[in-house]
Amino acid sequence: MDAEAAKLLGAGIAMGVGALGPGLGLGLMIGKAFEGIARQPEMANDIRTNMFIGIGVTEAVALYAFVVALILIFVA
Amino acid sequence: MSRRLRLLLVVPVVLAGLVALAVLPGGERHEFEVAKEFELEPLVELPSLGPVDLSINKAVVYLWITTGLLTVLALAVSRSLRLAPGRFQALVEMLYELARDGIVGGVMKSGRATWFPYIGSVFFFVLVSNLVGLLPLPFGEHWQPSYYAATANLYVTLTLALFTFVLTHYAGLRKNGLRYFVNWAPAAAPPVLKQLIWVIHLVSELFRLVSLSVRLFANMLAGHAILAVFFAMALIFQNYLAALVLQGASVLIYLFEIFVAFIQAFIFAILSAVYIGGALDQEH
Repeated sequence: MDAEAAKLLGAGIAMGVGALGPGLGLGLMIGKAFEGIARQPEMANDIRTNMFIGIGVTEAVALYAFVVALILIFVA
Repeated sequence: MSRRLRLLLVVPVVLAGLVALAVLPGGERHEFEVAKEFELEPLVELPSLGPVDLSINKAVVYLWITTGLLTVLALAVSRSLRLAPGRFQALVEMLYELARDGIVGGVMKSGRATWFPYIGSVFFFVLVSNLVGLLPLPFGEHWQPSYYAATANLYVTLTLALFTFVLTHYAGLRKNGLRYFVNWAPAAAPPVLKQLIWVIHLVSELFRLVSLSVRLFANMLAGHAILAVFFAMALIFQNYLAALVLQGASVLIYLFEIFVAFIQAFIFAILSAVYIGGALDQEH
């Protein structure tokens, strides 16, 4: 395998595997948040605000993978 | 003509049309590189001032458009405030309330009045910048229409993140004095562990800079890249049926991007508020 192919493969694998964890995490977290809202609708605003903070933090992991993939393709 | 007969006529015509689209020879093959859409070629060459290149490129133009649009809209709305708001004023009021009560009021315990102007400005700036990025504007290569967002540029988002970073520590130092740095580690921890926690906290403070800037940058870049790929696939397949399907799909992605533009502005502002609020009201 030449270096170019390895780079592209690496970028694909980095993005794919890197999106797996955050995807699971986001699903779990948003599901739990909706469960909480269903149980206590009067807390909906607080829960939603905190959910978005959590989304921002969880999503960052996938974005690191995205940046690594970009670096592999365009810089490495 | 009965309904059934009409259906019998319409279905074959539509099917024949789709088949015709599928077999019709496409146009010329065009070369299209998605990465090129994000390269910053100078639109207007200007002499450089020492190491600083003053040339005007796409990102600069988009920043100007965002700033101009935001200023004009804010002035227009604030000059013509009415007790019974029109549609546009109601929208702006809703966003303003979201920034004031939802973001600042929701996560900051003290200093709300002091820090709302900054967080509100960041929210509106990022929001308008993201939304402007979804308009095709003629600033591409050879002044062709292209998509770009000022926030799909790491330098812009890093500058915004640096504002939040510097202001966070300024807020903490002004309120807590030099105790601010001591409070980074919990007072109850044993000595050696305390230093370790302090270092970990320092690293996490620095990584906030990375995550805050890269989150916005990568989201906008990825959204624009996906749109560009969908537009480009029609050129690559050279097939009208594929083009029809892909353009339909790209409309859906476009709608999703409007949602993402809003969510990312919200997350950037709310995390700024969380960081500044955390520096103001430290846990001991």
